[in-house]
Amino acid sequence: MADVRYYDIRCVRGEITLVDIDNGVVESAGTSFFDKTVIRVLGPKGWGILTRDHVDIDSKRELNNLVEAAARLAAVTQDRLDLADAPRGVLPVPPLGEDPRDVDLEEKTRLLAGIEGAARVSGVGNTRARYTEGIDSVRFLDSSGNEYSYEAVRSGFSVIAIASRNGVMQMGSERDHITTGFNLRNKQDLGRKAGEVAVSLLDAKLPKGGTKRAVLDPELAGVFTHEAVGHASEGDLVREGASVLGGRIGERIGCPGLVIVDDPTLHEFGFMPVDAEGVAVERTEIIRDGILSSFLHNRETLAAVGNGIAGHARSEHGAPPIVRMSNTFIENSDATYDEILAECKDGILLIGSRGGQVDPGRGVFQFNAEYGYLVEGGETTDMVRDVSLSGEILSTLHNIVLVGNDRKMSPGYCGKGGQSVPVSDGAPHLLLENATIGGRGE
Amino acid sequence: MNGEDLIERVLREGGRLADEVEVFYARGQSVSTEIKKGIIGTAEESEAWSMAVRTVKDGRIGFSSTGDPDRWKECLDAALASGGLATPQQWGGLPKPANLTGTASSSDGNLIVAVEDAAGMVADLLSGAAEHPVEVVGGGANLARSYLMVANTSGILYGMDRTVAAVSLEAIREQSTGYEFDASPFRAEIDARSVGEQAASLAARSLGGRDIATGRYDVVLSPVAAASILGHVLLPALSGRNVKAGRSFLADKIGEQVLDERLSIYDDPFAPGLGSTVWDAEGVPTRRLIFVEQGVLGRFAYDLKTGYRYGEGSTGSAVRSGGDPPGIGMHNLFVDGPRMKEPGDERAVWVHDVVGAHTANPFSGDFSVEISNPFWMEGGDLVEPIRTAMFSGNVFEMLRDIGGLGKGTRRVGRLTIPSIRLNNQQIIGK
Repeated sequence: MADVRYYDIRCVRGEITLVDIDNGVVESAGTSFFDKTVIRVLGPKGWGILTRDHVDIDSKRELNNLVEAAARLAAVTQDRLDLADAPRGVLPVPPLGEDPRDVDLEEKTRLLAGIEGAARVSGVGNTRARYTEGIDSVRFLDSSGNEYSYEAVRSGFSVIAIASRNGVMQMGSERDHITTGFNLRNKQDLGRKAGEVAVSLLDAKLPKGGTKRAVLDPELAGVFTHEAVGHASEGDLVREGASVLGGRIGERIGCPGLVIVDDPTLHEFGFMPVDAEGVAVERTEIIRDGILSSFLHNRETLAAVGNGIAGHARSEHGAPPIVRMSNTFIENSDATYDEILAECKDGILLIGSRGGQVDPGRGVFQFNAEYGYLVEGGETTDMVRDVSLSGEILSTLHNIVLVGNDRKMSPGYCGKGGQSVPVSDGAPHLLLENATIGGRGE
Repeated sequence: MNGEDLIERVLREGGRLADEVEVFYARGQSVSTEIKKGIIGTAEESEAWSMAVRTVKDGRIGFSSTGDPDRWKECLDAALASGGLATPQQWGGLPKPANLTGTASSSDGNLIVAVEDAAGMVADLLSGAAEHPVEVVGGGANLARSYLMVANTSGILYGMDRTVAAVSLEAIREQSTGYEFDASPFRAEIDARSVGEQAASLAARSLGGRDIATGRYDVVLSPVAAASILGHVLLPALSGRNVKAGRSFLADKIGEQVLDERLSIYDDPFAPGLGSTVWDAEGVPTRRLIFVEQGVLGRFAYDLKTGYRYGEGSTGSAVRSGGDPPGIGMHNLFVDGPRMKEPGDERAVWVHDVVGAHTANPFSGDFSVEISNPFWMEGGDLVEPIRTAMFSGNVFEMLRDIGGLGKGTRRVGRLTIPSIRLNNQQIIGK
């Protein structure tokens, strides 16, 4: 196999347990099984990649055949890739508070029903809750002799409540996912909160679109961090010329004091003990004191682009590793929430997230709040709904006027290249000026 | 044992423990080539195998799936255990063999799943993109063939081939980006060169856009933008499950004029397309379903479970992928109606695509999104790029009174849709 410069094999075998309760009806509650293997071969130029269900990775013969088949694929590639050396090592997986495998499906269903029931406050017409549990057994080996295995356990839920009155329908939703054990006990408060938000949104106003001062709560500020900075700092986009941050290392792109970090070592929902190509993970400061200082890399993008740290390769089961975020956040500064509201004077407070999206090449992003409040004279007044915010990566970080001292992380899933991986985002409260607010109020 | 013999075994074993058993089996092969630095950087080949099992006992439906044929017994046991926890419901039985009269094709006998062919499609993409002064920053080609089978203890055993050929290209010029794509069951329908040329043209022509002032404008949504906004809001509102659960804006509106009379929406599983099929994912014969005719809401879509529960009957609308449980969906959805001269002479803001459609409120229909590749359109021509802006509105309100439908239609995934002209919409400039 002279044409093989490197190969690695990553096998993820495991179980997914889902419980779905819709308006008090247990729609489904059960476990499914998967067993996916990805074999990558770096040929004279680029990657040949094979994906298979159910491979016996202890069989030398089967592995040899797969590596040969992947090498034949690699032969059609033209773009010469190289791999940077990177430190190896596996962090210990956090101990599980309560192992979800020790809780039977019946109890999980009962606990989820409690959360779903709590969302059914007066005025709510529909409630739905979903429990998701994933047990991944990961094995990795490569042609350099590295080999590791670990187990990842994820447990969490989402709950949604819909209130309606006179043909107007509004929703409230909450979610909580962790990697440190079973996560359904004593969570009825989140169900109730989803219900109460849905009901109060029935009386909320549609905000007027335009440019104004905006206060972002920690959850929405986390999505802002992820969409406005995180994606554009991913080394694969930088290498391809698809990010506005390319070539800007050392440039001031944000206000002084601003620190933005991606840290896969934190025991948050984006935690990984080692990355998907066997590289040790470490905290990466993307922006330090307002200056772009690092990109997020895997081995090939580090070799091609430089300026950053490998160990950010991640993959969904059965998909090849690509550069991804893990736990991404803005570090605390010293402003209190009250100071931020007072400084805002007249503007809008935005709370919670319905997701966001970015075009990193154009440098434009959009994300949506669950709800918000108008801010008048430094005080919150009327509740508003269906409000989103858009901005441009290169100017928006200069518009951060104040950074709070109350950072909080929120779990979620991030999609890129057709793959979805668990992440968390966070920030303290932020005050932005010149924020473009989308809303259809008059 | 991983094909029909396994299916028979699961049905036989499961039939002893449950009233009814269903197996949905999928195996497939695909190849793709991915562009890096303007040439092929990665070649990928994938083989997938999955088996999903549903059991029904006393109206309790259980489900499990596996990607490992050796774990079929565990999978069957997990399905039965899952049924033990499900809330029992009205159930009239899995479908029996039917005389499938329709014809549908979503398979191309000439499509070869070969990496050399995918590499050739990338070469075509790149030669198209080379017609404009841009950098290619991503994209690729994909060829896939799969075999799907549904079988149950009522005697159904249906199998079907599916093929997909797909290409995409992403180009950039300074800070102006362009993305184009196409997918079809039929290899010959994919014009990779044209897709590459279009993506590059968008990036090149969008450069140097001017600001737009906040205000109300006529807006023309391209088929891509229209599909994105409608797909996240209008389609879920047609699902019988959302209707009965109180999650659809359209519930209780059957027989009412809910959209502009120039709009009709129907699912045609017999038309050639990515979702063409004569039986749905539960083995129920499919049929042509008119959801909205000249703006009047006619019906909703149901699968077996929701249909039996609410006494509506399945409309043959079950869909699923791989090892997922079945859900209500569309096979080949068409948005159609009388066309105007492409797409109106009056000056309007033409929008190629939107950023953030998934953040729309699916229940109220309210959205505010960032627009991609907007242009001033005059006399049907794109005359001048607009830099950037947001577009806010309500899907249900804006479709009640449209300006008209453009002449051409385009297939965007499982949706076939023309461009839509909208009057007096809210644009927020920067």
